[in-house]
Amino acid sequence: MNTELEHSFVELLEKHQNIIHKVCRLYTNNYDAHNDLFQEITIQLWKAYPKFRGDAKFSTWMYRVGLNTAITLYRKSKRRINTQDFEGVSFKIKAEEYDDTEEEQLKLLYKAIHKLNDIEKALVFLYLEDKDYREISETLGISEVNARVKMNRTKTKLRNILNP
Amino acid sequence: MDGLDLLKKDWEKSESKYPKLSYDEIYKMILKKSSSIVKWIFIISLLEFVFWFGIAFLLKGTSFSGKMEALDLDAILIPISIVSYAVIFYFFYLFYRNYKNISSTDNAKVLMENILKTRKTVRYYVIFNLASIVFGAILGTYYAINHDPELIEKIQQATANGDEMMVYTIFIITIIVMLAIAIGVLVLFYWLIYGILLKRLNHNYKELKNLEE
Repeated sequence: MNTELEHSFVELLEKHQNIIHKVCRLYTNNYDAHNDLFQEITIQLWKAYPKFRGDAKFSTWMYRVGLNTAITLYRKSKRRINTQDFEGVSFKIKAEEYDDTEEEQLKLLYKAIHKLNDIEKALVFLYLEDKDYREISETLGISEVNARVKMNRTKTKLRNILNP
Repeated sequence: MDGLDLLKKDWEKSESKYPKLSYDEIYKMILKKSSSIVKWIFIISLLEFVFWFGIAFLLKGTSFSGKMEALDLDAILIPISIVSYAVIFYFFYLFYRNYKNISSTDNAKVLMENILKTRKTVRYYVIFNLASIVFGAILGTYYAINHDPELIEKIQQATANGDEMMVYTIFIITIIVMLAIAIGVLVLFYWLIYGILLKRLNHNYKELKNLEE
């Protein structure tokens, strides 16, 4: 094995690992599934790494491989079943930072996001990560116009859940 | 504050709350094996190639094959064998090329298309095999009726008794039923395996494609 390649990869990944955690946060419901998907994304990134060209930003490249794994390549593990739901447990911001209404809204929002389909989740993820429509369209392989239309629909869907 | 603004604020704040995996933990992960659907598709497809190749070899050693040889069909069987092996290798080449094209760094739509293309190659390969079986059965039946001394004798006997149509009907129905059972089992098997494996992918692909229409 090329240890130098391994070293540079692991170091970069350690630094940017939050991107993977964030993808896992939207696409999984519990600790085991989170870890499982994290593992698979890491493997896919490692497999693709020899072809990674320095001219692309490592983080941008990670978004693409991470989402592709979550949407297409990942086979959901059976372990996912019967494990405790963790939304609001692991990454929760201390309650005192939000008032009761906000707390309730956030709970509803995350619950609603988990009910979206895989493509809508990807859009929400890229929106939360402040990606522009050009990058969104390039990541998903759809036109910028369609990315915008679908994004607006998804946002409306989420807003409607909060204000039925 | 708008709900989505609140969500965004929380998303940014969460940045420091994610687990922090160490260098060693990540290193251990890259040594593990992937369990992606592409890997499963590759394994299943390889098994399919082996299965059909194996069937071709198995048939060679059976009494059926001996009977065919006795009928002196070399002039037909040799070209058919050459063509079918050429087709098998061509399919395998296509499959391998498509498989190599699958890249997690493509955009989501292209990645899905490439996976589905790989699957399509194998599906065509299976259809080719099924068509060969049907074609082989028709050809075999035709030759048996006209050249197999045992069968010719039976038919002559039946003709003498006035049961000619009956023998033909039984013969043809038996072949059709056997083919239908074999194809039915295979189709069910495919439907189960790929239905489960590709359900999510097909669903997501449709979602992206519908957006572009």
